[in-house]
Amino acid sequence: MKTYQRSLAWLAAALLVTAVIGAVIHSATRLPAAASAPLAALPADQVSGDVTVWSWSPAADSLEAIKPGFQKRDPNVHVHIVTGARMITRLMLSLSAGVGAPDVTQLQRSDAPHYIATEQFEDLTPVAQKYQALFPKSVWNDCMLNGRVYAIPWDIGPCAVYYKKDTFAKYGIDPSEIHTWYDYIAAGQVILKKSGGRTKMLSMGSTALANMYEMLIQQNGGQIFDAQGRVAVDSPQSQQALGIIRKIVQSGISANIQPFGPEYLAGFNSDSLATYVNAVWLEATMKGMVESYPGPKAQWGVFRLPSMTPGGPYVSSLGGSVLAIPKQCKNKAAAWAFIEYALCTNEGQIGMYEKGIYPGLLPALDAKEMDEPDKFFGGQPVGRLFAADVDKMNPLNRTADYGQASRYLTQALSQWYADGVPNRDVLGPLARRMSRALDRPIAPSTIGSAQ
Amino acid sequence: MTVEIRKAASGGLWKHRHFYLFIAPFFLLFAIFGLYPLLFSLYLSFVKWDGLTPAHWVGLSNFQKMLGDDQLWTALGNTVVIGLLYVPPMMILAFLFAQWLNAPWLKFKALYRAAFFIPCVTPMAVIAFVFQLIFSSEHGVLNYALQHLFPWLHLSPIPWLESESWSKAAIAILVVWRWTGYNMVLMLAGLQGIPADYYEAAELDGASKIQQMLHITLPLLRPTLAFCGLLSLLGTLYMFDEIFVMTNGGPGSSSTNFGMYLFQISFDDFRLGYASCVAYSVSITVIVATTLMNRANRRALDEGRR
Repeated sequence: MKTYQRSLAWLAAALLVTAVIGAVIHSATRLPAAASAPLAALPADQVSGDVTVWSWSPAADSLEAIKPGFQKRDPNVHVHIVTGARMITRLMLSLSAGVGAPDVTQLQRSDAPHYIATEQFEDLTPVAQKYQALFPKSVWNDCMLNGRVYAIPWDIGPCAVYYKKDTFAKYGIDPSEIHTWYDYIAAGQVILKKSGGRTKMLSMGSTALANMYEMLIQQNGGQIFDAQGRVAVDSPQSQQALGIIRKIVQSGISANIQPFGPEYLAGFNSDSLATYVNAVWLEATMKGMVESYPGPKAQWGVFRLPSMTPGGPYVSSLGGSVLAIPKQCKNKAAAWAFIEYALCTNEGQIGMYEKGIYPGLLPALDAKEMDEPDKFFGGQPVGRLFAADVDKMNPLNRTADYGQASRYLTQALSQWYADGVPNRDVLGPLARRMSRALDRPIAPSTIGSAQ
Repeated sequence: MTVEIRKAASGGLWKHRHFYLFIAPFFLLFAIFGLYPLLFSLYLSFVKWDGLTPAHWVGLSNFQKMLGDDQLWTALGNTVVIGLLYVPPMMILAFLFAQWLNAPWLKFKALYRAAFFIPCVTPMAVIAFVFQLIFSSEHGVLNYALQHLFPWLHLSPIPWLESESWSKAAIAILVVWRWTGYNMVLMLAGLQGIPADYYEAAELDGASKIQQMLHITLPLLRPTLAFCGLLSLLGTLYMFDEIFVMTNGGPGSSSTNFGMYLFQISFDDFRLGYASCVAYSVSITVIVATTLMNRANRRALDEGRR
């Protein structure tokens, strides 16, 4: 027994010693971020070397497509596009290890503030400043920290309503008469009634309500965090957004199915859903699902997002991504040359648009390519429709804690949906939970002055 | 005295160096990929670290935070409820199926065994796709079946995945379907290990089938049952993919078990220090609990033998 105890004690001691050694080794082997010269844009003949870009499908294909154009402009820079599964995990590991990061990386726009806050990305302010006016103001919000630029907006995700023209025609609905969410709900009720409950207007999964919420608060200028990073979720704008979601649910026009689940995808080709309220990037999935379907295909069209009030602001966005240069990058001038070509020139952005990536660059949105009729949508120039008023989008203050906040939001809204509690009873506790967990104060509330 | 022992020990090490060399690859790999992460995680329990910026030593404050973390307690509570919902039916079904497959008169045994075992080797992504369709409150086949099989009950569609009270049941149903076959195979092996003479002797003595099951099968299967129970206990605690793909822990946090919670705090929130602290604390609790359980089990076995 004694030897047993003694060996246990030895084991514990050995474990402790190894843990301490491990910790020391770990902290000692953490490489300091590579010190580097400040970034400056150089003329093409002075830039050379290899640039590795990490991106994921389908965006990576669009970068591949513009490579020849870039090679013509900067013949001495060789770009390697690397794509694969779990690119963001790989990025995290390489940033954490201090080695192995690419020269340029894609980031989800909503994740960008989190990564930027780690101070592992190059300050692009000196070279990016002159392009600031060429992108919608709202997208810069996710690319900046303390007034400095750390990422360049890539694709943006303006939202609209995709609808089945034949279904609308069959039930006598004119999409040009849908201006507000209330018009939209009324139209949905007509379709629901005339189809005998078979066709719902939209899918709105109870465990993915945060998307709908986020889309709505961009319309009325609501925020999850205010400009000082305080929790601002308990606001009249949030109340208004929840009011609309509740109206949609109570009217019975929404199907409780999860986005991109089997029923959601089946809805593209069945008569279960009449519209999809989503961003411009849904087009790729939709076209794929519809074109590969062997049965009769629906006729599709797009109309602009309904607004909350007649004539009120309607633009909103979901998703989108950015490109950034990790501090580990050794050849920053070459990395910047590629980003500049891909994102800040019409040539680069339109080249990617032809591969299905919607440009964030305003001059590219004015280009004639946006007016090209889209065969899939019966000749409707949908590129132009999505481009309308993108510069009027309300910016969201995401902060480094957006991921965590958005999980709390999803949890609270799914609970709210399931239990049917009043709006106020969900927002107050949600704000307190966010404040407690994220260690951020609650913004002075303006409840009571709801619009 | 001690010098001699040490000498003998090091002499032994050198003398048997070839053997040590042969077993070294395992220990090297284990040290790098098993022991180091384990110890590093222990160190992380005392720091605040998001995986990207340098870690800060925070002492015991992670442990302190844990006590007041209502999400953790909810997750542990959910784990217990989900476990209670699925372990008993799963064990009973697995036992019955194993009994049936062990019957000498049954034909096509291998076919049945494979059929029962297939769910636990099917990729979770495929299962998720199918079960979302089964559980859907819009066009779900389960609600359809319930309503048409029992029309006199006038059931309204059950929101399997969208209601806080049903989400755990939906997860439990999925887990029973997925893991019954696995436990069945373990129990079948246990049953086949029971010598047939016992049953012959019992039959000669006039014992009924029920008596045989109660007095021969169950007592002799006890170690297997304990093993299955232990695996299920750990499985419930660290269950992740079933929940991740079906409900993502929701609605609210009604189906968030411990494994899901751990994933959320580490890979959604990047609170790697706190997550390590929680993981370590719960693991230690589980190790203590299983040791006690094993000891009780052994004592009961010894008493049974006496």
